[in-house]
Amino acid sequence: MAKELTGKVYDIQGFSIQDGPGIRTTVFFKGCPLTCPWCHSPESQSFAPQLSWLAARCIGIDTCGRCLPLCPRGALSPGERVQRPGTGEEIRLVRIDRSSCDVCGACARGCYPKALEICGTDYTLDDLLARVLRDRPFYENSGGGVTVSGGEPLCQPKFVLPFLEKLKEAGIHTALDTTGHVPADVVQGALAHTDLFLYDIKQMDGALHRAATGVSNERILDNARLIAAGGGKIQIRVPVIPEFNDSDAAIREIGVFCLSLGAAVEMVQLLPYHNLGVVKYQRIENRGKVLEAVPPSEARMHELVALLKSLGLDATLH
Amino acid sequence: MYVLSPVTDRVAAIREKYRTAKPSICTARYRIVTDYYRENPQLQGILKRAKNFLNICERLPVLVNPNEVIVGWQATRYRACALYPEISFGWFLDELAAGTIPKRDTDPYDISDEDTRYLLETGDYWRKESLSAKVDEYIPLGYFGAAGSGVTYFGTTGTCTSPTGHFVANFETALHRGFGAIRAEAEEKMSELEGRMYGNGAERYNFYRAVTIVSEGMIILSRRYAEECARQAALETDPARKAELLEMADSLGWIMANPCRSFHDAIQCMFLYQIGLCLDAQQHGISFGRVDQYLAPFYEADLAAGRITPERAQELLDLFYLKVAEMNKIWPYFATLSGPGYTSGQLMTLGGVTRDGRDATNPVTFMMLQSSGRLLLHDPPQSLRIHKGTPPELWDAAIETTRIAGGVPTFQNDDVIIPALMARGLPLESARNYCLIGCVEPQGCGDEWACPGGNGTESFFNLLNAFLLAINDGHNPMPAPDGSRGGRVGLPTGYLYEMETFDEVLDAVRQQIEYFVGWHISLVNTWEMVASEHMQLPLLSATVDGCMESGRDVMKGGARYNSTGNAAIAIGNIADSLAVVKHLVYEERSVSARELYDAIMADWEGHEELRQRILNEAPHYGNDNPDVDCFARWATDVYGDAVNAATGPRGRWAAGLFPVTAHVLFGMSTAASPDGRKAGTPLSDGISPVQQMDRSGPTATLRSVSVIDQKKFSNGTLLNMRFHPTALASESGKEKLIALIRTYFDLGGMEMQFNIVSADTLRRAQEVPEDYRDLVVRIAGFSAYFVELYRASQEDIIRRTELNL
Ligand code: SF4
Ligand code: SF4
Repeated sequence: MAKELTGKVYDIQGFSIQDGPGIRTTVFFKGCPLTCPWCHSPESQSFAPQLSWLAARCIGIDTCGRCLPLCPRGALSPGERVQRPGTGEEIRLVRIDRSSCDVCGACARGCYPKALEICGTDYTLDDLLARVLRDRPFYENSGGGVTVSGGEPLCQPKFVLPFLEKLKEAGIHTALDTTGHVPADVVQGALAHTDLFLYDIKQMDGALHRAATGVSNERILDNARLIAAGGGKIQIRVPVIPEFNDSDAAIREIGVFCLSLGAAVEMVQLLPYHNLGVVKYQRIENRGKVLEAVPPSEARMHELVALLKSLGLDATLH
Repeated sequence: MYVLSPVTDRVAAIREKYRTAKPSICTARYRIVTDYYRENPQLQGILKRAKNFLNICERLPVLVNPNEVIVGWQATRYRACALYPEISFGWFLDELAAGTIPKRDTDPYDISDEDTRYLLETGDYWRKESLSAKVDEYIPLGYFGAAGSGVTYFGTTGTCTSPTGHFVANFETALHRGFGAIRAEAEEKMSELEGRMYGNGAERYNFYRAVTIVSEGMIILSRRYAEECARQAALETDPARKAELLEMADSLGWIMANPCRSFHDAIQCMFLYQIGLCLDAQQHGISFGRVDQYLAPFYEADLAAGRITPERAQELLDLFYLKVAEMNKIWPYFATLSGPGYTSGQLMTLGGVTRDGRDATNPVTFMMLQSSGRLLLHDPPQSLRIHKGTPPELWDAAIETTRIAGGVPTFQNDDVIIPALMARGLPLESARNYCLIGCVEPQGCGDEWACPGGNGTESFFNLLNAFLLAINDGHNPMPAPDGSRGGRVGLPTGYLYEMETFDEVLDAVRQQIEYFVGWHISLVNTWEMVASEHMQLPLLSATVDGCMESGRDVMKGGARYNSTGNAAIAIGNIADSLAVVKHLVYEERSVSARELYDAIMADWEGHEELRQRILNEAPHYGNDNPDVDCFARWATDVYGDAVNAATGPRGRWAAGLFPVTAHVLFGMSTAASPDGRKAGTPLSDGISPVQQMDRSGPTATLRSVSVIDQKKFSNGTLLNMRFHPTALASESGKEKLIALIRTYFDLGGMEMQFNIVSADTLRRAQEVPEDYRDLVVRIAGFSAYFVELYRASQEDIIRRTELNL
């Protein structure tokens, strides 16, 4: 018997109120082809499961220490001594040797306080559907639905496309939060089952885009045109990143592109960069690039919104 | 969009005074009452209480402070509280003798040396004369073997620390008829009975006689205030204030004896009657009822006749709210620990439907929210009744108010409450006219004596301790403060490790719940028997529908509709505990019953690993998991059915599920439980999940709590939800919150209130992260557990939170 189709999900968030209309449940799929240094969910980037470590939850190896003997590869050892915030009690944490770890998950299963967790869970279609349909009364009362997000959900098309289709069959409003950096036929496949695209446009200059995110923006822009031509509805989202795209010129260029997509673009949302997610880099010891910059001021954000509005776009702050 | 308008200078000045004045103790009422009781041992029952009230009205100094327009007070100084030794006084004397009252860390009160000396010299008289002492004499003999269970909290001495309270008068009668007409009616009833007191005629005669006396008291009190205003007017040099004082004198000279003529009359009459009720009965959850419904006809008539401007009316309402906020009463120190903040629970109700089922929203509904929002007062609390036709503008105003005023108003669901009240005997029209009492307790407004706190003293029922007794052969596992463990207080249901199936566990729990519901009701019914002799409430009964017809006080069953309320606590804890026992011990068999039993008896000492596993791996109520939510349903059904089937002297009992703040207090004396809770820590709040255990977001929590059959709990349910204010800042955020409440109400929810996270809360979470593990912050699409963020990010969020408010 063939193994049942599964999707790799790293989080499911109920009462999601920032990702599309109404009250929504957002399903975050794991893995992304881009490596934006401002990403505030770095655990979404890798397609493989990861061992996530959160020191604030560890109760210390002297009280607990269950994880140490559980590791078949000897990747865990006693780590530094720290003071627990609040109680002030001194505890000894765990040290993870990532080079020996093969993410088997044995330690995480034994770590009750969930200081060690495996990030990335396989869901079958039926399980995931049952999970998100539980909140149907909330969607119905609020004009909400389900948002499929990531990472880049369309990197798991074999799972995500039928998932969207089944949601539509169940009468649920669907939103798809995508980078657009996927093959055109996948986007085409999503079009029929997606009520709203939440579509990131980060930079119109291809070279700058590649330098920051690791990929060129050509495919992204082409796919946006494809959605618009195919009758899709789009909310454009622009993360406003210091010294990357926070100039009038950069934002104006994005605005001009949005205008070129015509009536498909319902709204342009500007998302100010913030660094609240930096803790998450530590959790998976992602040693990749992390942007630590001063967030744009509120006044500056309002200027940029005004700029887009002056072009005739419906623009808001996220 | 709903906007707040600025307050007038006068209102701002009084608000400032309110915020800076330290509460103090005034002995004026105490002195009057003590002399009266000592001089009148021959008087008993309702006449003693009626004459006591009249005597207070004749003697209590009247206080008209600068800038005030709405007047009336129970003490001789601004923000001072009166003393009510007739209810219970022992705890107060003990704290006074210890000298802790001005110094205690929660709700301290100033008191002069002279007053302290006087109270200590005279106070002992009340140790035997108070209601609490009288009740102690009537403790049933069998209860000496059941006290100390921690299921019902009645001891065998000092039983009544708080009065009955928890009622609402019929303010419409007071406003539209006045005490002049009420007195005339009572006199007529008396003359019909003169020389014809057959059957219970003498008792009825005395009731009417008491009504004439208290009516006289209200009229005298009002006239004395009129005279004081006139006196101040004569001395006043500012012509504007002089005119205002004369206007006040005119109003006070007219109201009470006569029907109110204006919005000003109506507010003044309502407040002074409330002061009268508090002077008589001690303020304890004495609520105002449907204020917007009483006031709107007066407001609209004044407006149409050009007698008032909206601005002046709003100012009068602000001044009224400031008077209510100023009221406070001293609580025992242990009680302030769980509910600090000088609260007096004078709840107001707004919105909902009219008696004939139409939307009841009116201009005063909005004015009330304005006052709360712009004055930012902790009191008065407000409850907004929601129904299918609640207008969008009212939703908008209410959500904005809850965001700024931090959880005011609470939201109540007409669609669940009205049928629930009908099920306990109210006819449709009366059920539609319900209001909320004290905290969340629904009651017919002006025609029901529902006694939601129980007669004699307020009381709660601890479901978790019923569970603990059930698995501990009827012994309370929590040692007494002196370390001793008492004998068996419950039924001998055996020990957990002797029970072979989970059904045996359920059966044991059911037996203990039903056994203690039986005791609890027996005791409260006993207190009612005693309290209805010594603490009748003729001033209240003068307006409550049914009493004048029947010639009986509310305490004697005179009101048109009757019930007695109770409330259970620790729903989340008992649900989680049952689920843990079922899944770990009887299904997975991963823990033996003996090991789990030993772990909780040892308060988890040496069993931290098991505790962590339970906290983090076991199913918990509040996460939309039917495997555990079913136990919240089961336990509340067992409790609710037992209470609802019981009767008291005046009719049936009504179950409720809310803690006020008892979950903290009672948690202090509840042993460790299988849900991972340690001994002495708070119990879960209302029907909310156990603290830190709702990890699946608000929609999952709401689906879980909807599993409880809430319409069964006509004495009220309480659900507190914590939100970070940024979730409500945008227009679309507010709409989503409204949809959230609506959906919960569609699912059968009765009540919902919000705890808006403040910057102070976040700072506290930094200090005690253990207590705030579930605190989610959502900033610009980013959501995270606050305590798990880096310090710098936490600081950033605190800053954003401050800016947002
Ligand atoms: S099992 Fe978890 S809590 Fe225990 S020591 Fe290991 S990491 Fe810390
Ligand atoms: S995931 Fe497996 S290999 Fe890695 S540390 Fe844990 S137990 Fe060891």
